[in-house]
Parts: sequence; C-alpha cells; structure tokens
Amino acid sequence: MLIMGEVQTGLLRNLGELGEPKCREVLGLVSGEEPRTSMRPLPYAISPEQFTGVDCRLPGVSGARIRGTGTVAQHAVIVGGRVLQASAYATVVAGAADHRLPWSHYLARPGDIEVHGRPRWADMAEGFMAAEMPMDALNLSAIGGRLMAAVQESPHLDGKTPFKSTRTHLRWVLWRGEAGAPPLLLTLGKGSLRTLRLTGEPATDVTAFCEDLALHDWLLTTIQAIIQRALIGTAAPSQIAARLAPAIDHLMHLWMPGARVPDSYQHLWKELERRPGFSRQWASSVTRIRDQIAVNTLSLLSAAVMTESGHEPDGDISPHRGASQDDP
Amino acid sequence: MLVFAISDKGGTGRSVTSTNIAFRRALQGDDVCYLDFDFGSPTVGAIFGVRSAERGTERGGMHSYLQEKTEDPYRVDIWTDSDRSALRSRPPGAGQLILLPGDSSGGEFPASPRAVDRCVRLFSRLREEFDLCMVDLSAGRSYAADMVLAATARAELSDVPFRWLVFHRWTRQHIIAAAGLVFERRGLLDVGAAHGHDKTALAERIRFVRTAVVEANAPERSALRSTQLAWLDECDRDLHELARRHGVGRTAMLGKVPLDPVLQWREQILVDEDVYASQIANESTIRAFDHIATKIFDARAWEGL
Ligand SMILES: Nc1ncnc2c1ncn2[C@@H]1O[C@H](COP(=O)(O)OP(=O)(O)O)[C@@H](O)[C@H]1O
Ligand SMILES: [Mg+2]
Repeated sequence: MLIMGEVQTGLLRNLGELGEPKCREVLGLVSGEEPRTSMRPLPYAISPEQFTGVDCRLPGVSGARIRGTGTVAQHAVIVGGRVLQASAYATVVAGAADHRLPWSHYLARPGDIEVHGRPRWADMAEGFMAAEMPMDALNLSAIGGRLMAAVQESPHLDGKTPFKSTRTHLRWVLWRGEAGAPPLLLTLGKGSLRTLRLTGEPATDVTAFCEDLALHDWLLTTIQAIIQRALIGTAAPSQIAARLAPAIDHLMHLWMPGARVPDSYQHLWKELERRPGFSRQWASSVTRIRDQIAVNTLSLLSAAVMTESGHEPDGDISPHRGASQDDP
Repeated sequence: MLVFAISDKGGTGRSVTSTNIAFRRALQGDDVCYLDFDFGSPTVGAIFGVRSAERGTERGGMHSYLQEKTEDPYRVDIWTDSDRSALRSRPPGAGQLILLPGDSSGGEFPASPRAVDRCVRLFSRLREEFDLCMVDLSAGRSYAADMVLAATARAELSDVPFRWLVFHRWTRQHIIAAAGLVFERRGLLDVGAAHGHDKTALAERIRFVRTAVVEANAPERSALRSTQLAWLDECDRDLHELARRHGVGRTAMLGKVPLDPVLQWREQILVDEDVYASQIANESTIRAFDHIATKIFDARAWEGL
C-alpha cells in the first residue's frame, strides 16, 4: 500500500485578504458542503473532501503497464485569506481482482485506487516522482488544477492579485519504503516541481503535513523571487523598497511551520529545520528585506535633511513593479 | 498585459520580432510568457533554441489545452531549457521567460465556445504569474484571432489590458495587406465588434510594427549610385504616403525594426553578445526591440489616434 499526492500552492486571486465568511462562501461553492474554518494561529479554511473517479495507467519507472481503478480525494485550503492550495491524493492498494469491478465496489472505498494485478510499490513510487510522466498515467496535477481553477474563478473573488507569483507543485509519496530509506527526502525539481519521499506507515492524515510543507516552500520560493528581482545593490533604495513591499504586506506574517501538523508528524518538521533549514532560510530572507527597508528609510531621512538645508534630493524613478501591476 | 502578435501574411517577421520583444521585456525585469497560438505551424521553440519543442511539443501544448485534452499545458523555461548557451543563464534582475509551445501534431481548429472558455481560463491563470503574455497568432484572418477576440470581450477579462501588434514589411503589398487585416470587411475590427468589443476602443489598442526596414542611413546604401539613392528615396516617400492613406502611417506605428543581417539568415533571439562580442548583429536592431518592448507599456503611445 502507498499514498501518493500532489499539493498545488498559489496566491488567491483577490486583491485584499479574504475574511473568514468569504472563505466559507468560496470553498462552499466548489464542494457544495460547509468548509471547516479556524482563526488561530492563522485564519484557515478547508473544504470537505471530494472524490474523482479514475481508471487509468499507474506511474512507474520500469515502463510496465499497470492499471488501477478507484477514486482520488481532493480538497482546497485557504491560508491567511491569501494563499490557496489544492491537495489531491489517493491510497493505492492491491486490488481485489485483476480486472475492473463494478463502480459500486470502488465507491464503497472513497480515496482508494485498486491495482489490477501485482503491484510493484517501489517502481510506482519512483515513477510518481519523475518530472515527466507518461501522458496516459494517473494525473493528480490535472485533478488539483481543476479544483484550483474552480476556486480562482469564484464570483466572490475580484480576480486580481496584489503581486505576481508562481504556483508550486509538491508531489509526495508515503509508503513503508525500502530498508534503510530516510524518513523524508525533499528534492527541488525542474521549475516549480518539488518531490517529497516519505517513509512510514501509510495514513491519510499525512496530507496536513504535506500541505504545511508546500505552503512554507511556496512562501520561501516566492520571497526569494521577490528579493532576486529587487536588484539589491543596483537599483535606487526607494525602488528596491517598493519591489520588496509585497513580501512585507502579504507574506511575512504567514510563516508558521508546523502550526497545523498532527503530533505524529512533528518530527518531520524538525528534520526539515535541521536540513535544509527552512526557518533559517526564511529568517535570512526576512532580515535582508528589513535591512533594505531600513536603508531606504535612512536615505529618505537624509534627503529630507538635505532639502531643509537647501539641497535638492535625488530624482526618484518611479518603481517599475509597484502595487498595481496591470494598469496600462 | 496581453499582447497579440498578428500579421496578414506569413514570413513577415512576426514571430522573430515578437519573441525578441518578449525577451527584451524579460531582461527589463518583467515576468514574461510567450504563447504559441500559430496553430498551423507552431515553430516558436526553434527561435528560442529549444530543440525539444522546435516544431511544438508532444507533451500536451496549447492545442491540447484549448481542446480540453490536458490541464497543465507544457511549459518551457527558456533560462534553463534553451539549447542555446547564450540564453541559458538568467541575468540578474531579469524576470521569468516561459514558452508555452503548440502541439507538434496539432493543426488549425475552430474557435468553439468551449475553446473560448478555455482561452479565458488560460489568460486568467497566466495573469497570476506574468506581467506580459505575448501571444503569437496564425497569419491572416484565423480561428486563433477569432478566439482571442472573443475571449478578451468576456467579462472575466474585462480588466486585463490588452494590445495588438500588427507586423508588416515595408512594401506596397504588405502595407495594403496589413491595413486590410485590421480595417476591411471581416477584419479585426469587424470580428471584434461581432464579439462585443467597442470598435473605437478596439482600434485604439491596435498598432503597427514595420519589420526588416532598410533605413535611409543604412550602411547597405553606401554602395548605391546617386540615381539609385534618389529613386529609393522617392519610393520611400510613396510608401509613407500609401501607409498614411491606409491608416498605417506614423501615428499608428508603434515601432520599426531595421533589416538585420543575422535575422535575415536565421530565426533567432538576438542577445547582446551577438552585437558586442561577435559583432554580427546590429546594435540598432536590439535597440529597436528594446524600444518597442518599452512602448508597449507606455500609455502615451496608446492614446487615441
Ligand atoms: N528585422 C529583420 N531583418 C531581417 N530578417 C528578418 C527580420 N525579422 C525577421 N526576419 C526574417 O524573416 C523571416 C520570416 O520571419 P518569421 O518571424 O518567421 O515570420 P512570420 O512569423 O511572420 O511568418 C525569417 O527568416 C526571419 O529571420
Ligand atoms: Mg511565425
């Protein structure tokens, strides 16, 4: 048995932070049921589970054509009224038969995919981590992508984002693993793909850990992209400050690793903090941003002093990437 | 911002010019996405030096996405996946440069209401991520143009600014053809109006770009006799007059790109190295691309004509 899943993370398409009632409406609309929400430590909303039927080839590095039938579970999460996640996952189990059974059989086991024939777990786990899967293989990315689109197109959202950012995809697998496999292995893949291999007894509450990790990985990726683009050391201080502003306004307060992770997975966060040192990287990015803002404040102050003493301050080039992005 | 690149004829320099403009914009710091909507011949991968997508991709490109065969269209990150080493390192401060190629086995397909829905979804989604989406359309009156005109008229995209660049060469036939594509019966304005665009507002979002232009002071001209030069100048005056009469004159022009020796030989992105290190391309060509890349976002260049 193994569980495989994918978490997509991106900015919610709304200029302002979405309040709790709106989060309920938005998520309620896509699932047709009441979402669960909580306010601490951060506003958080999660939609009830929905299921998508699948009957398709399963991934594998060996190229063996193994099929499976069943359903994929998916839900959407909104964190801080700002970040949207779509999480799709399935528990793959050895099938009761080597052919397809009537749908009622699979509907009685929501979230399970049954393998037709003899499953090869290691092959399947590795196949699912590959950057390019066969086009006809189980595609959790497509299922998550559709859920993401359904939320983003909600009439309760204004369709705009306060800054541009890239979605990330965290693909993960949890199974007993080969002997000696580490409890956790996170790899940054091509572009926005991350892969996470977890070793342990398969249990679906691991999704909370994967979503929390995906959220923090996205925050780190996004803040680093903002810093990279601010041209620290090259551009004028005011310009740099304007480019860094979205990080301060919208991202910094969202960093809270482990806040929603069940106790049984807290040790995995500890592992990540040790290596690659998530919070260390975050802290260094935050310090970098604060320093730049301080430099800008100083230069504004000294410009003010200069003006008072009769000098003109330097002309200020308006920031290229400011708050409103699309305006012509 | 959405920018649609179109031309009445093939071979005008639409793809080469629009990819270079997108590249300059990324260098200027914008996150840029280039979409290959030339459904009949999706070959933009070749211009970016991406061998695996030279004639489109087999892994679900734009055709597959718009026809609901894939959810995540295949993406090529030029800064990491180009086979041209000069493109393979992202300069400091540069934005993303992503290519969404077409399908290698795709062809033209009609702009059905479903395809328009998908197109709206795609543009909304890309807007989360990119400052500029440059869309290379098939030549002439095409399904692709029809689809994006329908999509941009939809309420979901009503606050996404868009512009059209009509590429043409600086010859009699091309001037007349480019004007026809925009202003004549079943031209862009007509089709746009049929989809619900306001004709005047739409016209204000269309500008022309002249490609492969031989300038009066071009070095190529030094070899010519004075009678030839005088004749050329007269032709040029005639062309200006013709362009003006057809609504393709100076005021409707966003920019012009000089004839470039490298581009005449090969469809490619011009990098600074081509000009300064190997000195095979002209600096004026890169400056022209840069100029257009800036002007696309300059509100003054898009005020009513
Ligand atoms: N400024 C230019 N100077 C010289 N040749 C050019 C220039 N721009 C484009 N070309 C060449 O013109 C040909 C057609 O260009 P292309 O972009 O493929 O046209 P289209 O997309 O309109 O069919 C190509 O060989 C290209 O390299
Ligand atoms: Mg072309």
